[in-house]
Amino acid sequence: MVQLNRQYDRDQTPKDSIIIKVVGIGGAGSNILDRVMLDGIDSAAMIAVNTDVQALTASVATEKIQLGRNLTRGLGSGGDPDLGLATAEEAADEIRAVLQGGTVIFLCVGLGGGTGSGAAPLIAKIAKEQNTLVIVFSAMPFTFEGKRRCRQAEESLRQLRATADAVVCFENDRMGELALPRMGIHEAFAEADVTVSQSIRSVANILQRPGLLKIGFDDVSAVLRNGDARGMFGYGESEGENRAHDSLAKALKNPLMNRGELLQNTFHAIVHICGGTSVTLGEVQIIMEELNRHIGDQTQLFMGIGIDPQMGTRLSVSILSSLGNGSDRATVPAPAASQYREDLVPAQPVEAADSAALGTAEPGQSESNNSTATDEFAPVHPAPKPEIKPAPGSAPLKKAEAKQETMQFEPVSRGRFEKSEPTIIDGQDLDVPTFLRRHV
Amino acid sequence: MAKDNIFVGLEIGTSKICVVVAQARHDGTLKVLGVGTVPARGVRKGEIVDFETAKRCVHDAIADAEEKSDVEISEIYLGITGGHIRSFNNRGIVVLEDGREEIDEQDLEDVRTNAREVSLPAEDCILHTIIQHYYVDGQDGVLNPLGLFGKKLEADFHVVYGIRTRIQNAIRCVKELELEPADVVINSFATAQALLDKSQKQLGAVVIDIGGGTTDFVVYVDGAVKQSGIVAVGGDHITNDISIGLKIPTARAEKLKVEEGNVTLGTAFPGETILLKDETGFAGREIEREVLNQIIHARLREILDIVRRQLEAEQNLHYVGAGVFLTGGCSQIRGLEHLASDLFGMPVAITHALPMAGVTSAFENPQFSTALGLVKYAHLMHLDRPSSGGVFRRAFQKFSGMFRN
Repeated sequence: MVQLNRQYDRDQTPKDSIIIKVVGIGGAGSNILDRVMLDGIDSAAMIAVNTDVQALTASVATEKIQLGRNLTRGLGSGGDPDLGLATAEEAADEIRAVLQGGTVIFLCVGLGGGTGSGAAPLIAKIAKEQNTLVIVFSAMPFTFEGKRRCRQAEESLRQLRATADAVVCFENDRMGELALPRMGIHEAFAEADVTVSQSIRSVANILQRPGLLKIGFDDVSAVLRNGDARGMFGYGESEGENRAHDSLAKALKNPLMNRGELLQNTFHAIVHICGGTSVTLGEVQIIMEELNRHIGDQTQLFMGIGIDPQMGTRLSVSILSSLGNGSDRATVPAPAASQYREDLVPAQPVEAADSAALGTAEPGQSESNNSTATDEFAPVHPAPKPEIKPAPGSAPLKKAEAKQETMQFEPVSRGRFEKSEPTIIDGQDLDVPTFLRRHV
Repeated sequence: MAKDNIFVGLEIGTSKICVVVAQARHDGTLKVLGVGTVPARGVRKGEIVDFETAKRCVHDAIADAEEKSDVEISEIYLGITGGHIRSFNNRGIVVLEDGREEIDEQDLEDVRTNAREVSLPAEDCILHTIIQHYYVDGQDGVLNPLGLFGKKLEADFHVVYGIRTRIQNAIRCVKELELEPADVVINSFATAQALLDKSQKQLGAVVIDIGGGTTDFVVYVDGAVKQSGIVAVGGDHITNDISIGLKIPTARAEKLKVEEGNVTLGTAFPGETILLKDETGFAGREIEREVLNQIIHARLREILDIVRRQLEAEQNLHYVGAGVFLTGGCSQIRGLEHLASDLFGMPVAITHALPMAGVTSAFENPQFSTALGLVKYAHLMHLDRPSSGGVFRRAFQKFSGMFRN
């Protein structure tokens, strides 16, 4: 097995205070995990979780958990999320033990299949128990994979959003933005993994690297916890004369960022600029000025600057934000979390009521709960719990749902060039009328 | 195969597709036999975005040209543009091996190859390596080193490159119509051939072609191409700005731009309005003239400013003696020369192609500069062939190599 030792010594880093754990769930999850591993990340525990033993063995993660020792006996979950959930319930103790002590937990998962869609919400819940910051990177299936898989993915995503602090969603359909159609399929998928991997590493770096202007764990929590759990990430790296502009442009072009359009609607955003000793004040100014054009007036910016000699002549920009207005979400997590704990501890049999209240209740869902009712964790229903709580939770969440419709909102009009490749020179999108940009 | 002395230039522009057929006469001049033109569809910012539609338009333009010139077209010179095309200057060096002192054709080819050896992104390919100056044993000002004695041959080249697949789109469009592209030329380079005479190139000149989808420019210093570039912004953007700014349909905006547009601010009386007549599906409106002019002014000023900044970045403006030559459809907007001479601080002329024999209406319209330039370029290449046989063959090899890959 490949074991990479990428743990560089860095004295000033308060490694112990912030413990990062990256969990890859299911096949797609472990692929992302492997990519993170290969790209190198400072002092983070890598945990692969899968039902398929073969895939698990092939993973380069340091820690591995096999799901469904008894249920699937080393085979995959066959695209059945209920089975995926059951297997995760079986291994819940093991998962809890591994996640113990983490400060920030990243979950990487490809939704739509069995293991990922089924197990991820439960694992997110277990992670949340540790009072950690839980950030989920989920890959949504291609539309052509069929409506059923998409529905499974949507359902799982909904549950994840209710539990995790931030869910960053990568839609496979948008892979075309990363890769050319003629590119090898493995390259295309690798590109997608790289995108997620970069995001994870950039958060890890923000937290762990020494900084001139430091962004702390508290800032990151503030940004992510105040949103409505739809997180956004952008990461860009560049070198050369125009590196400040280029790296920001790349960060904004990131598919996890929706071209920066949604930045208008956020209340908090973190910008972290990292480079070698050659970073100039001018470059920081360029980045911040350009970025300010993309964010709304109400947005609170947390700026961080890190100097890392390893970057050499490169400069990187990481943008981290989550959608929604601060107050919405702030009220939700507390009841949601405590609610969950109540459910978990006294082990009330609540499934029936759940399914009824859920409205979209799928027969499979309740069946699975019944089938595993003998299990100690039977009542650990996947994440819809917080959502269906009528009193405190439902209203804000409904509001968040309604906002989803405005995803494609574009603040500036490009008219007939809407769909063509943007012409960007010196940081200006030239397709937008000049008089609008200059406020003539 | 077309007759040896017939040249055809094809420009797939954003607003129109234009074909010029010309005949080389015995006295070394060109005679324009016919011009075929159709409004383009399926082209955005100088590049094909709807292949089938664009192909049909090219077909119609070719048919139009064939009819008007009474020539059957089989081989064409294709003009290329697009925001992806970039360029740089590079020097190639060749040292002659011991015992040989006379510079031969192979050395000229080697020095060119040497200059092309730069690491480009994998998806890019080189379109042109245009010779600027030769140096023999460090001696400047060698016009043609062929046959000279020396140990070391150096040469500066202007290398133009772009994304292979995007260039191939245009080539494929032509090939599917059973036309043979003899060469692929960037538009700005072709336009300069039509606009500038030898002395202007020698004095130093800037050619800016503001077309429908792109603004192409090229700088000549000391008779050689010093810089070239393409900004993927053009007349379409002005129309779009007007359409957004005044909230009128695009077709209306285009008409308004052409008929009423003026780039000079402060020429309208306060409160002067333009009346837009009502048509079916569009209620009539009054539009303030100054607002229209402001929108056009802001955009054109920005385009020219981008070009000026790029020229200043390479400090080429000081070497331009003959001035700035504006052409292309957008150069017809009223008052542009004043704006441009303000910005560039030198004489600016709105020009069209230098006179040739034949269809005079063709070269009196700045819209046809590029297509006429393509024919001129073809003619020059043709004249070049006997003297230094390599150029044409190389051009062809380079091109066919590109297509093979």
